Amino acid sequence: MYWVSIVTEAGIFAILALGLDMVWGWAGDFDLAFYGYLALGSYMTMVLTIGKPVPPVSYIIGWRLPYPLALLLAVAAVVALAAVIGAIALRNLREIYFAVTTLSAVSALYLFVENYTPLFDGYNGVYGLINPGQTLFNLTYNGYRIVFLGAVLVLLVVVYLLVSRLSGSPFGRMLRSIREDEHAAAAYGRGVFSAKYRAYLFGAALAGLAGGLFAVFISAFNPSAWTPQEILVIYAAILVGGRGNPLGVVAGVFAVYIGFIELTRFLPSPASRPEFGPALRQVLIGLLIILVLKFRPEGLFRERLSRDRRQQ
Amino acid sequence: MSTFLISVGIGLATAAILALSAVAFTLEYAVSRVANFAHGELLTIGAYAAYSGQRLFHQNVGAAALLAAGAGLVAGLAMNAGLIEQFRGRSATTVFIATLGASLVLQNLIEMIYGAADVSYSFTQGGLHHVGPFLWTTSNIEVIISALAVAGLIYLLLQHTRFGKAVRAVSQDRALAQVSGIPARRVVMGTWALAGAIAGFAGFTLADTIGTFGPGLGFSFLLLTITATVAGGIGRPYATLGGALLVGLVIQVAGTYTNSSYQEVWAFGLLVLLMLFRPNGLFVRRSATAVRA
Amino acid sequence: MSTPVLQIENLSKSFGGIRAVHDCSFAVGQGQVLGLIGPNGAGKSTVVDLVSGFGRPDAGSIRLAGQELVGMRPDVISRLGLIRTFQTPREWRGLTVMDNVLLARRKFGRESLWRCLTRAGRLRREEEPDRVQARAILDRFQLTELKNARAGTLSGGQKRLLEFARIAAADPRLVVLDEPMGGVNPVLGAQIRDAVRQFAAAGRAVVVVEHNLPFIEKTCDEVVVMDLGEVIAQGAFGGLRGNPRVVDAYLGMDLSHD
Repeated sequence: MYWVSIVTEAGIFAILALGLDMVWGWAGDFDLAFYGYLALGSYMTMVLTIGKPVPPVSYIIGWRLPYPLALLLAVAAVVALAAVIGAIALRNLREIYFAVTTLSAVSALYLFVENYTPLFDGYNGVYGLINPGQTLFNLTYNGYRIVFLGAVLVLLVVVYLLVSRLSGSPFGRMLRSIREDEHAAAAYGRGVFSAKYRAYLFGAALAGLAGGLFAVFISAFNPSAWTPQEILVIYAAILVGGRGNPLGVVAGVFAVYIGFIELTRFLPSPASRPEFGPALRQVLIGLLIILVLKFRPEGLFRERLSRDRRQQ
Repeated sequence: MSTFLISVGIGLATAAILALSAVAFTLEYAVSRVANFAHGELLTIGAYAAYSGQRLFHQNVGAAALLAAGAGLVAGLAMNAGLIEQFRGRSATTVFIATLGASLVLQNLIEMIYGAADVSYSFTQGGLHHVGPFLWTTSNIEVIISALAVAGLIYLLLQHTRFGKAVRAVSQDRALAQVSGIPARRVVMGTWALAGAIAGFAGFTLADTIGTFGPGLGFSFLLLTITATVAGGIGRPYATLGGALLVGLVIQVAGTYTNSSYQEVWAFGLLVLLMLFRPNGLFVRRSATAVRA
Repeated sequence: MSTPVLQIENLSKSFGGIRAVHDCSFAVGQGQVLGLIGPNGAGKSTVVDLVSGFGRPDAGSIRLAGQELVGMRPDVISRLGLIRTFQTPREWRGLTVMDNVLLARRKFGRESLWRCLTRAGRLRREEEPDRVQARAILDRFQLTELKNARAGTLSGGQKRLLEFARIAAADPRLVVLDEPMGGVNPVLGAQIRDAVRQFAAAGRAVVVVEHNLPFIEKTCDEVVVMDLGEVIAQGAFGGLRGNPRVVDAYLGMDLSHD
């Protein structure tokens, strides 16, 4: 069951990473808001499926929708938020200005969610088992975990196929030309903002989808379960795998999640200091980012070039 | 005494700390062209160094402050040599991501050493004093005075010494400064030492003012620092002071009249507005040559 | 001559109180190559930016085949049939030479996210004629061998050639070249001159900003001389030699060499 849980989590984060890579890898925008999109996707999926809050717990909506419908609505909510943040941040801001703006947007969101209890019960967060299909197929808890893993992997494959199709398409080519030189891209007729914006919304939708799956996976979501900084793990994974290469991105997520979790499982974590192990893991993630940037910025799998094989 | 004036008074104390942090941030930017996201950890290092030293120095605030500045100085030098110089010539975004990684490393190293739980100093805040229309604690007053003193010293240093002239030359064009005989590497090192010391000291005053603090102290102060820096105009030390004043007042006053836990939300809102309308700072004319696509 | 391809009237632009361009007017017709010359700081590059939408004029009008361009974004202007270059070649470094040329073919309809998701195979088939054309263009500019190389790995001269290959692939109504001879050797210079003349022969209009006067003399049908933001002379290159204002502006420069 231990492995089932790790692979499920890695699969969910691989979907998030594929979305983020469209924004950073293809369009070249270093976004720091994406963990917020995952979080919103999780919260929304929960409040749409777990039913009315029982006082003193409070949260919005409180419906009992079928899971697929809830997932769809959660993704729509995430895309709506990304549409606002993207419209502000993508228009004229680039590089660190873009990064700082998206970071302040997600930090504001975080503080708001943490302090405004009517939304998602503030610091306590929302929780409730949502195991779509468990009763339908009459599965045990463990059996369900395995079926859910299968569902996540199937979704990951579908998302991967769609993303890599886009990656090699004229859309992917156009987006990368904007990353390489947006003035030249504009001089050749590309609407820079609208192209970046479309990629941003598509990527955010994938983050929302990952969030909806994450809700099932952890069945509770509160501000101590996520911080905006956690997106750095995803960036480390993309860097390791190969920015701009969908296969590399998926490989990077699995390598970083499974590699790191496995490696650091055996690290000492004294009972009196439960934070020691997780902190050490973060140190290693940070070091990984720095070292890959310094020595192999293109990652394990370099971005694929399209080859024109025909001779004259 | 009106709520407004009290919050303005606290806002001035916040602004003083913010000014220290933002000036250090902008000095780092000026010589290395890097938005240093590990800047917050220089503050955290200063705060924890003072925490480690406070028993040693028998409650001597001045000694603790010096220790914080010293630790910040060393950390600043190490950060420049171990990280920033390693990424010289790489794109701005690459260096920026590397500093984000460094921030993660340092923050969690501190957590491994000191634990995740909040700690606090045993210095007293001193009594309350009426100064003009404001109400301040002794340590508020010390913070404001020391910030003014540091600002004055930086002004003298940058305007009236050879080192200051060299810093300005390097921040204009490092390669050009180098060929005109300025030891650019040493000047950059010196600037990081200075920025580190200021940041370490700022971290101590911040921790002392807040009361309790943890390993995330500096990182959560970073966005406020950046907001103040951007408000002033990045890379412009004096304008940064104005930016800090503005941001300190806005968050205190807005926070007093709304829910205080939304204080930072106001700062982030302000930052987004600045980014949209005055990315080059409030006190400069719009960059004339910027080509927009 | 019917409507000029490009007509500029009373164009003005200041930066922080400094007049970069003041009351500038000139026109370029079909099949014509117009040289825009003048000393450094004359305002030539500003004119290029204003015409291509990378800057907004304070006053005046810019018309492309009769249509007003002022206020339009660069990408919109480009779609109306204007391609500009920059002082240094601005290839898309991380993409292949072939992709650079294919991007310059500007088949925007195929870049829709939705179509790329749902009609990938069909788009690939639709692109085949553009690939054929791109290969021919690469051949013309001796870049066939390099078609699968990252554009960023090309030499300076090859980057210039790629620039012209992209323009040929885009096939615009009007080409605006900002110092195409910068850092170019004589052999390549002759090639660039041929390329420019070829654009004109195909009925397009060309504006060239250039410091290299022999190049201007050999390539351009007409020359506009700017100084301190103003047009100080206009006409055939030969006729400018005796113009005292031009000689004044170019004080110390030799206009008579060939």
